[in-house]
Amino acid sequence: MSRAKAAAARIRGLFRRGRLERDLEEEVRFHLEMQAEDNVRVGMSTEEARRAAMRSFGAVEPMKEAYRERMTFALLETAARDARYAVRTLRRSPGFLAAAGTVLALAIGANTAIFSVLNAVLLRPLPYRSPEQLVLLWTEAPDRNQRQGRTAYWNVEQWLGQSRSFADMAVFDPASVSLTGAGEAEKIGVARVSPNLFALLGVQPLLGRAFTEEEAEQRQRVALISHRFWQTRFGGSRTALGSAVELDGAVSRIVGVLPPGFQMPDEDVWEPHTLSPDWERRRGLRGPGSWFVVGRLRPGVRVEQAQAEMTAVAGRLEELLPLSARNLGVSVTPLNLHVVGARSRLALWALAGAVFCVLLIAAANVASLSVARGVSRAREIAVRAALGGSRARIAGQLITEGLILTALAGLCGTWLAVAALPLIRVLGPAGLPRLNEASLDGRVLSWALAVSLLVGLAIGIAPAVTLLRRSLRPAIESGGRGATGGAAAHALRRVLVVGECALALMLAAGAGLLVRSWWRLGKVDPGFRPEGVLCLQVSTPASMTAAQRVNYHDRVVEQVEALPGVERAGIVSNLVITNSPEQAVTAEDGGAGGSLRLRSDEAGEGFFQAIGARLLRGRFFSALDGHGAPKVAIVNEAMARRLWPGRDPLGRRFKLGVRDSASPWLAVIGVVGNMRRQGLENEPVAQMFEPLAQNPPRLATLVVRTPAEDPLRIAGAVQAAVRQVEKHAAVYGVETLEQRMGAFLSERRFQTGLLIGFSVVALLMAAVGIYGLVQYSVAARTREIGIRMAVGAQGREIFRMVLGEGLKLSLAGLGLGVVGALWLGRAGSSLLFGVQAWDPLTLTAVSALLAGVAAAACCLPARRAMKLEPVAALREE
Amino acid sequence: MKSGREDKADVLQGTLILLVLRTLEALGPLHGYGLARRIEQISKDLLQLNQGTLYPALLRMEQEGWIASKWGASEKNRRARFYSITAAGRRRLARETEDWKRRSAIVERFLVLSPGTPAGGGG
Repeated sequence: MSRAKAAAARIRGLFRRGRLERDLEEEVRFHLEMQAEDNVRVGMSTEEARRAAMRSFGAVEPMKEAYRERMTFALLETAARDARYAVRTLRRSPGFLAAAGTVLALAIGANTAIFSVLNAVLLRPLPYRSPEQLVLLWTEAPDRNQRQGRTAYWNVEQWLGQSRSFADMAVFDPASVSLTGAGEAEKIGVARVSPNLFALLGVQPLLGRAFTEEEAEQRQRVALISHRFWQTRFGGSRTALGSAVELDGAVSRIVGVLPPGFQMPDEDVWEPHTLSPDWERRRGLRGPGSWFVVGRLRPGVRVEQAQAEMTAVAGRLEELLPLSARNLGVSVTPLNLHVVGARSRLALWALAGAVFCVLLIAAANVASLSVARGVSRAREIAVRAALGGSRARIAGQLITEGLILTALAGLCGTWLAVAALPLIRVLGPAGLPRLNEASLDGRVLSWALAVSLLVGLAIGIAPAVTLLRRSLRPAIESGGRGATGGAAAHALRRVLVVGECALALMLAAGAGLLVRSWWRLGKVDPGFRPEGVLCLQVSTPASMTAAQRVNYHDRVVEQVEALPGVERAGIVSNLVITNSPEQAVTAEDGGAGGSLRLRSDEAGEGFFQAIGARLLRGRFFSALDGHGAPKVAIVNEAMARRLWPGRDPLGRRFKLGVRDSASPWLAVIGVVGNMRRQGLENEPVAQMFEPLAQNPPRLATLVVRTPAEDPLRIAGAVQAAVRQVEKHAAVYGVETLEQRMGAFLSERRFQTGLLIGFSVVALLMAAVGIYGLVQYSVAARTREIGIRMAVGAQGREIFRMVLGEGLKLSLAGLGLGVVGALWLGRAGSSLLFGVQAWDPLTLTAVSALLAGVAAAACCLPARRAMKLEPVAALREE
Repeated sequence: MKSGREDKADVLQGTLILLVLRTLEALGPLHGYGLARRIEQISKDLLQLNQGTLYPALLRMEQEGWIASKWGASEKNRRARFYSITAAGRRRLARETEDWKRRSAIVERFLVLSPGTPAGGGG
């Protein structure tokens, strides 16, 4: 009650400040006069009476200060006054303002930008209803070392029927089909999904409706399209509803358009899961299968509980499974962990940590600067103290200055981040999901604000601590010049510099390790020669028969090879691969069969020569390996080693599946070197190739080798040549092989580039920090240096002394930094390739670099110290 | 100059409110200087009142509504601000008084404590 009343009185005080001050003034005057008169009455002289009155009243200014603080809201009042004062002070030192402001604005801007990426990719919830309830369910096959395998439809039905943790489960399977019909054929992504998927995720079609259970059951050809597809194909027109899309030659009716937020990376069309070409077979499967399974947990059920229940369910299902598919588990994982891979997550956190380190270094630098300024301002502050400014008030003043500085820097930095975001979206790794959603939302802005506030506080508190720890009085007497007074300040600045060096070394070590990884990647032999190779996707209408397709492929290769500047051309079903399924393989005569991760593709005649694969044994495919010829295969080294360790695989036969399966025996006619078709970073898996002509795929990659520097120069001619063969065939996705392989590395390139940038900035800032400190210490010790020289010290000794001071600090930082780098390197070791976190070469190199930078930073002030005139130096002060 | 200081007590923060309210209740409206003088006189000059500290305290008490102030003419016909106790102030004074008595009673018990007194004996 009374508190509210007092607050109300204070609010009134805000508006009546002037009158209240005048009233107080008059009251005090009255008081002093009355006291003086009384004093005269007891026999004092007028002057004596006045002074006695003043004495018994006590200090007027602090009283007024206390009165004012009571008068309105003290904090508000003082803050406003401090802010005005701080602005004046900062404007009086534009150099400091510009240097500190720029450094902080850049650091805060970089932090905000990276944080907005982190926020979009990792923190912002998925655009589904209650995304925390969404999980993926996987078939786990410990026997085959498989954690997250796809599942058969039958199992999903059992899982849902026998568990209570889940509100619903849906299945989906992405595939790639040819969009036929009007114009040239084109490859698009289609997802076959169970009709409950959309309801499960909480996604409403923007237009039209989702398909129904009945439609799925009756295998009706209905489709939903993505917002993107709707815009590009139908110009966003409502007539899209009810229109037809021709997929692989079959016509589907569009019943709905999905909202723009619902965009899987490649999928443009969704159709019922029952439309899978081999649905009947899939329906009968038990155990591992072809479906991704997404489930929604019932409210309040935790992932661990669901996992426990599903493990029990898997146990009960065991005896219903075929013998070959026993011993399976189920693994339940939160959906959001799958949107972004573990390595990307780690990399993003690492980058955010790195950029935060840059901010810390920047803050340390500015804090150090303002400590130095604080020392030179000791006189001003001592005067304020003498005039009755309490320590708390002076500290408040300094902190206000820090806050105003970072508020400015924060504004500029946020603006920089806004400007940089489009750039990041474009330059960032294409494979990073949701990167294009990076934007400034409330959370990013709060982060920027929090960071600015913290840095501001730190920058203000640093000089306040050093100034207030010692008595304020001597400064006024020594005229505020004494270097002695700055001892605490100097100590703090040394600590800051050590910290900067440690952080800079950690960043540089991280960047160094990534550079080493990059370098090691460059040394990896891909198993083929990617330079001078052009790749194109070619697809044929679904209506073509196998024989027509073989003929088509032959003519395409023939036409392309006839072009000038083409050395060799060949076709392969898939060039770059992303997965290699677990498969059972049987070797005929006592070879080591069993289950292995095996990639199987079809390759045409010139393919191996065009890509530059190494032939280790036997021969490549030729025109002899056509339709009706004996079933043959070329295997890679890894597969040969696995199946026939220590024996010559040539002429031996194997088959896919178990021994009594229906698949044909294949004779090995050649062994090729391992090719890293799944990216340089991945160990090559077992690979086998069958002749293209014996099983021609609808979609394939044409590989063209040219001696030209830039294979893209012949791209137009190659495309034209392919179209000449068959105008309805689609040719698209023209890229050089180097570009294709490089796409695997785009995320790594992004990380490495950013981290290099951050560590260069960190090193520079650490150098500036060392420079500033040594420079200051030389200035403060001018007299001492003069004396030393006067008593016979050589310039070289002085140089060494100053250099030593700076180096000692940087070495301390270096030691701490190496410890930190080792510790961090272990946590981030999965980001490295072919290099260990404790790689001595990297650590030595970055340590030497940091020491060199530190030495360079010390050199200038050290030279200046060396060249001091002793007499002039002694005359200082 | 500093002689006798040791015998004078500084006014405890908090007690000042009690003193001011009690003085105003007993003597009626007073201006700041009068109030300060009366407090010193009543304490027989044993209380070292840093007179200046009175004014922020008065402001606070006025904000709390315990006292009211009004500009008027002093005994020598000069403009002065007169403070008077309000009804809320009287209630506050009653509470402060009770508080003070209780506190001094507690301290009193410790002062009579002799080495032989059993702990927690309850007197």
